[in-house]
Amino acid sequence: MSRVYTPRYQQNLKPAMRLAPGRVTVVLLLLGALLLALLARAIYLQVVQQDFLQNQGDARFRRTLLLEANRGEITDRNGEPLAISTPVQSIWASPVDMELGTVPAAKLQQLARLLEMPLDEVKRKLSDNKREFVYLKRQISPALAQQVMALEIPGVAKQQEFRRYYPAGEMLAHVVGFTGVDGKGQEGFELTREKMLAGKHGSRTVLKDRRGHIVEDLAVIEPPRDGQTLQLSIDKRIQYLAYRELKAAMEVNKAKAGGVVVLDARTGEVLALANTPSYNPNNRAVLEPEMRRNRAVVDMFEPGSTMKPFPIAMALDAGKVTPDTVFDTQTYRIGPATVRDTHPKPAMTVTQIIQKSSNVGSSKMAAMFSPEDMWTFYRQAGFGQSPQTGFPGESAGRLRDWQNWRPIEQATMSFGYGVSVSLLQLARSYTVFTNRGALLPVSFTRLGAPLPGKSLIKPDTAKKMRDMMVTVTEEGGTAVRAQVLGYHVGGKSGTARKLVGGAYAANKHIGLFVGFAPATTPRLIVAMMIDEPGAGAYYGGAVAGPAFSNIMAGSLRILGVEPDAPSNNTLIPEHQISEVREET
Amino acid sequence: MHAARSRYHHSTAITVMDEALMWAIALLLSVSLVMVFSASIANAEADPATNSPYFYLMRHMVFMVIGLSAAALTFMIPMAWWQQYAGKFFLFAGFLLVLVLIPGIGRVVNGSRRWINLIVLNFQPSEVMKLAAVIYAADYTVRKAAKLHSFSQGFLPILMAIVVVAFLLLAEPDFGALMVVMSITMGIVFLGGINLRIFAGLALMAVAAIGLLIVTSPYRVKRVLGFLDPWEDPYGKGYQLSHSLIAIGRGEWLGVGLGGSIEKLFYLPEAHTDFIMAVISEEFGFIGICVVLGLYAWIVRRAFHIGTEAKKLERYYPSLVAQGIGIWLGIQTFFNVGVNMGLLPTKGLTLPLMSFGGSAMLCNLASLAVLLRVDYENRRLMRGFKV
Repeated sequence: MSRVYTPRYQQNLKPAMRLAPGRVTVVLLLLGALLLALLARAIYLQVVQQDFLQNQGDARFRRTLLLEANRGEITDRNGEPLAISTPVQSIWASPVDMELGTVPAAKLQQLARLLEMPLDEVKRKLSDNKREFVYLKRQISPALAQQVMALEIPGVAKQQEFRRYYPAGEMLAHVVGFTGVDGKGQEGFELTREKMLAGKHGSRTVLKDRRGHIVEDLAVIEPPRDGQTLQLSIDKRIQYLAYRELKAAMEVNKAKAGGVVVLDARTGEVLALANTPSYNPNNRAVLEPEMRRNRAVVDMFEPGSTMKPFPIAMALDAGKVTPDTVFDTQTYRIGPATVRDTHPKPAMTVTQIIQKSSNVGSSKMAAMFSPEDMWTFYRQAGFGQSPQTGFPGESAGRLRDWQNWRPIEQATMSFGYGVSVSLLQLARSYTVFTNRGALLPVSFTRLGAPLPGKSLIKPDTAKKMRDMMVTVTEEGGTAVRAQVLGYHVGGKSGTARKLVGGAYAANKHIGLFVGFAPATTPRLIVAMMIDEPGAGAYYGGAVAGPAFSNIMAGSLRILGVEPDAPSNNTLIPEHQISEVREET
Repeated sequence: MHAARSRYHHSTAITVMDEALMWAIALLLSVSLVMVFSASIANAEADPATNSPYFYLMRHMVFMVIGLSAAALTFMIPMAWWQQYAGKFFLFAGFLLVLVLIPGIGRVVNGSRRWINLIVLNFQPSEVMKLAAVIYAADYTVRKAAKLHSFSQGFLPILMAIVVVAFLLLAEPDFGALMVVMSITMGIVFLGGINLRIFAGLALMAVAAIGLLIVTSPYRVKRVLGFLDPWEDPYGKGYQLSHSLIAIGRGEWLGVGLGGSIEKLFYLPEAHTDFIMAVISEEFGFIGICVVLGLYAWIVRRAFHIGTEAKKLERYYPSLVAQGIGIWLGIQTFFNVGVNMGLLPTKGLTLPLMSFGGSAMLCNLASLAVLLRVDYENRRLMRGFKV
């Protein structure tokens, strides 16, 4: 400092100057008190209010993410896929974490355009700023999702999801079923085996920054457990064949509906089960309840003549008749009612009663037993009982209590009236004849080893029944059109009049054929039902026989089953078939 | 020359400067560098306008270098000069406060016209006014020492000055700066020996004035309500404070660790400026708060000690300046941390030496240079030199 300068404070050294030390202490104490207040507040926040504040924090940035388990595949018995999950993306947003006002209007417009949604709807969904999660659009293609994410709108995110794809489409829709948009099964095995297929979702608890990025994993990741593969007993090749033939038969006969069940005669496994009308599970835009019903399992009907083998087997097994026992088959009366055949013959052997489908003959054999015995026999053949496949809405059929049976009712029940069954039940009941006299449980899943059946008749009786039932498809039988080249086919046709409003309709029928082949060592049972054929013909042998034959022939070929008949058991040319009609 | 002397007389030499004070400042600046980086990194990286994780760190370092250079220059200025030009400096600061109110010169950010754009940095005149308040109030008190018992002669003049400054600051508005300026001025006249009755009356008036302001300006009332119960509307007006409290609560005793703060990830606004203490609390917990507040307390204590030393040497003006700087630092730290912890309404005050911000850093470092100058002159006198 070059300048001479006398500071003013040296001029002003006056006694009045009161820089009292006491006041410094006061100020320091005051500042000290403020410091203590801060420290006390810090302890209050960090220790006392810790939990409250951290919970508040968690509510804002802690998120539990769902780790979706992959849904199990459904395959046929050979591993062919019937239901698979394909990856798709869903676009969602977290309105809590975004400020709609800060998003450029052009971007919102682009977003709406990409998602094919009205702009107002997008805005409405995004402005609900209490919500943490709202779907904007579900199940879009990964490529489109990529474009949406490229807009980089904060708070908008994508999520991988899976959409079920059903390669078999409509031909197996009723068995496989489908899943809803939430990925849960809604029909068929997608529904009944939901738990097994869905697996278990995992979770991941994370901290997210305000823009939705994951910052940190908080807890151990709970990995998802993928669903298991469900292997059905269905053989896709046979299923395809069965569905195609059923559809063709429907068209030829101008029928209202139809169903076919193909069973493995040795194990009771369902190799094919088809219904018409069906629907495409991959595109359910038009899905009417009519199409959705799995008729073969859910619907019941009166089986008509396809029931006749049972009273006959009962009589045969009890030793009351032999195949050659002759019955008087003239029309007769039970009380006020008359039992008659369409083409009456004075007498028939038991074999002929089956071949020609005689009501009189079968009712006479039923009359050899008490109602209780007959009821028990039917019951053991699976009628009136749920087949317990686990299928939703499965029908148990209807078999009334024997105590209320009148004699005429016992007679009509011998030829399939007054008793109701499902097509699956009916097909199953024939395992009694194909499987050494034992009724097999039916299974929709592939079995490692056949389950034990429940013995109903002697193996020898079963063999005799098969031999007699082969005559049905031979010349003079009711279902000549059910013949298969190179194989003996046994079976029984049936034509039942439908009950409409408590009375039997004159022009509404159900045409049926249930049969097995090769008859010597049966491998397959095919049960075929045509509901309300409208093209003139309505007899079971005529409407169901040809389709049965095609399905049986194709299936035996697919399975490589050795022929048991000479290959010159040529089908009788169409014009030569002498139409023998079973009773209605 | 004295530097050479002390080198040869280690055992008896009085150090040239208050080394402990310098270490405390250096430590706070180091913490500041780390924490500004930590608190700003996410925003800096994500914001297309900044687009580099180092954006705020680099700027902060530049501000610090500028601030330290300015502090070195300020240190050269003798206390006598400050006292001589105190009035003019105060007028200059007042002029800047007028300047900032002129549209086109003053920049509006978040509804307040507080900044003058100097290209390199946005300059905040209210920061200069804080230093000017110290310089001028100390001079006033010493000059009027004999009349401090009188209201009209001893007190009214400074009151008028405060009222003018208050109007200018409220025009911006910058309520926080006004609180600091008033605290500094009142503290200095109190320490200078003003009549206690006048002081009590003044304090009452100040409280009444603050109350009136809160009642008459609705946006301030809103702020006050938001601070009383941030959980009433945590996503609306309580948003910032609730996030600050969450950050502090998450810190617990030891903190979540450096870089571990979640709140700084776009949740807590102003994480690297006004609410940096919340981030420090989250990452270093109660221990971190104690260390940082301890450093401030140490600096404040040193300021008062230096002031007392000066008084013993009968250097009343430097004494009051030193203590005024102590009050400034202490009260602004309390206000800022108090806001972070929800003890006080949100004001827009930075944490001295810690928050990101050029003019505050510059003025804080300059004022600490003045404090060191007082100390330096004390030591010179004690060793028998002239200042």
